[in-house]
Amino acid sequence: MSNRHEGQEARPARRSDGLLLIPVKAVMQVIDVPLRAWQRLAGLTGMASFFLLPNMAVFAIFVLVPFVINFVYSVTGGTEIFLDQRFYVGAAQYRDIFDCRSYLDPSTCVEDGFWVSTRNTALFVVVQVALMILVALVTALVLNREIAGRSFWRAVFFFPVLLSPVVVGLIWRWILQRQGLLNLVLYELFGFEPYSWLTDRNAAFAAAVGVTIWARVGFFALILLAGLQAIPKELYEAAEMDGTRRTRVFFRITLPLLMPNLLVVLVLGLIRSVQVFDEAYVLTGGGPGTSTMYLTQYIYEKGFASDLRDPGLAAAASILMGAVLVVLTLVQMAASRRNEKKGER
Amino acid sequence: MSRITLEKVCKSFGALGVLHDIDLDIRDGEFVVFVGPSGCGKSTLLRQIAGLDRPTSGEIHIDGKLVNTVPAADRGLAMVFQSYALYPHMSVRQNLAFGLENARMPRAEIDKRIAEAARMLEIGDYLERRPGQLSGGQRQRVAIGRAIVRNPTAFLLDEPLSNLDAELRISMRAELSALHDRLRTTMIYVTHDQIEAMTLASRIVVLRKGRVEQVGTPLDLYNRPANRFVAGFIGAPSMNFVKGTVVEAGDTATSVSLMGLSVAVPRPAAGVAPGQAVSVGLRPQHISLAGDGGDGVPVEVTLVEALGSETVIHGRTGGGERLQAVLAGQHALRAGESVRLAFAPADLHLFDDAGLRLA
Ligand SMILES: Nc1ncnc2c1ncn2[C@@H]1O[C@H](COP(=O)(O)OP(=O)(O)OP(=O)(O)O)[C@@H](O)[C@H]1O
Ligand SMILES: [Mg+2]
Repeated sequence: MSNRHEGQEARPARRSDGLLLIPVKAVMQVIDVPLRAWQRLAGLTGMASFFLLPNMAVFAIFVLVPFVINFVYSVTGGTEIFLDQRFYVGAAQYRDIFDCRSYLDPSTCVEDGFWVSTRNTALFVVVQVALMILVALVTALVLNREIAGRSFWRAVFFFPVLLSPVVVGLIWRWILQRQGLLNLVLYELFGFEPYSWLTDRNAAFAAAVGVTIWARVGFFALILLAGLQAIPKELYEAAEMDGTRRTRVFFRITLPLLMPNLLVVLVLGLIRSVQVFDEAYVLTGGGPGTSTMYLTQYIYEKGFASDLRDPGLAAAASILMGAVLVVLTLVQMAASRRNEKKGER
Repeated sequence: MSRITLEKVCKSFGALGVLHDIDLDIRDGEFVVFVGPSGCGKSTLLRQIAGLDRPTSGEIHIDGKLVNTVPAADRGLAMVFQSYALYPHMSVRQNLAFGLENARMPRAEIDKRIAEAARMLEIGDYLERRPGQLSGGQRQRVAIGRAIVRNPTAFLLDEPLSNLDAELRISMRAELSALHDRLRTTMIYVTHDQIEAMTLASRIVVLRKGRVEQVGTPLDLYNRPANRFVAGFIGAPSMNFVKGTVVEAGDTATSVSLMGLSVAVPRPAAGVAPGQAVSVGLRPQHISLAGDGGDGVPVEVTLVEALGSETVIHGRTGGGERLQAVLAGQHALRAGESVRLAFAPADLHLFDDAGLRLA
């Protein structure tokens, strides 16, 4: 059976490949002269660092430096945006954030907005990630079967991933708003009165969850699909010979062998979900009230947009959120390292 | 317990016909080997029997019962896959138990069967390990063990040894043979290695392009190949074929001229006429150096392969025909030399232009 899966033959070199190579080779030869001299000075490992330098510089300027500045902000107070007009307050911002009479009730906190948006985010993350993994898994299982037009459907599910999150938010707002497409369709078909989906607490939450799933599920389904396709067909045939029922095949063979991919999907999904902002912000603006206000929006508004702006507090909140993301990332790295070790399956 | 018969089994994938009118009768306890070149449909045929695939037409019977629509699990067969197909996330013990648990067998019985298979295959020491922690040979044993514990009415094995190195392959071959002697269960074994086929089989089925070329015992096929394909496929190195012409077709012998000689093959060839062109087959092992004075075919040596116990020479006759000869022992020959080769007329095989055996 394996004879049908033999590696494709190498693509025969085309003439145009050769033609394209001529200018490339010329440029290479010119660059070669100074680089060789430099390598003699820097040594081979030094050269590696040298080639990494541009990337490191970009990383430093756009990630490392802002991170440090952000930390500095989080230990200063005042409403001014420029650092030289701010004063040092130590851990006061963090103390303010954690100043609650009861952590179970955000309204007893000094910074109730932080805790409301944290609670919203937690609920969003749990529901959105759980549902999304379920949808992604079902999608991948269906796409893994030999259904008609499989590559078409694969593209259909992946397409929203290519859209800018803001565009996603706008499209769905246009569908879900009071004078939107959904109400029009419901009215035309069933005569339903228009309903303000996005100003209903539950519907707005459902919309935020649903739209982010719609926008991202293709990506995660693709990861799971790759995992499904890596499971050798013979295992299923062996299970068939063994007389295994379909549910048992799924739970005892497919699911365990898909675990590495599911773990990747879980952690990446969690990270993405904690950071939820664009789609939800465009869709509901955090409303109605603060019912879909998530942590990133809270940080953004606290830092830049509200009248009572407090850059220091926003910075402190973002550092706390960053800590959560770092933990998740470490989990992901540990998981993928474990997968690599088990890789000889 | 298990007699498997196939009647006019055909299989096509879309427009591509892979199996054509396969008729087979596999008797209980037989060790049948399907052999043939790559892509000839051996695996496909085995999968039809296993029930992993359904024939396009034709009937498959197991013990007289039509099984075309019977699911694989209910045919009482066990399969050993070329890639072993062990469940990688389960221990060896779990691998062996999996199929039995499906059948809701009591735990004690499962444990008993696993212990028995482990003893028979000497895999007891690594029952708790995962397949990834085993060597190729150990995995192979586990794969066979997984088939044995199910106590099948027949084993189906698809090139089970092809992922092993040459040495291990030979020892596993012997073990498989011993296993069959012990279990006396029907085994259907697929290979493209004709030596494996010769050493293991009680009967060999030679397949080519989805058709059965010949069915017979190993020595049947070796001594009386039904056609040129089988003659060339069975035996290594391959049989030599040279052009010949019938001189006289008698009741007890057929005279043929070939390579400038005239020889009388001591067998009648039905329906041949003098002057008819035939293809004459001669096994390399049946050629020897002609003694002094004896007549033989003058041959120019083009290559000498000294293997120690035997010497393989490749040569060309004056008429431009290529010959290979396997000479026992060691011979001080070199490329470019001329030798005279002899053979016994009884060892010649005659085939017509369609490749069918004449004598
Ligand atoms: N599912 C399939 N769809 C289309 N063609 C197939 C399929 N399975 C097998 N074939 C074709 O059928 C032919 C026989 O395949 P098969 O695997 O039975 O060969 P084989 O004799 O087992 O060869 P090998 O010794 O290489 O394993 C091949 O030409 C193969 O391409
Ligand atoms: Mg095969």
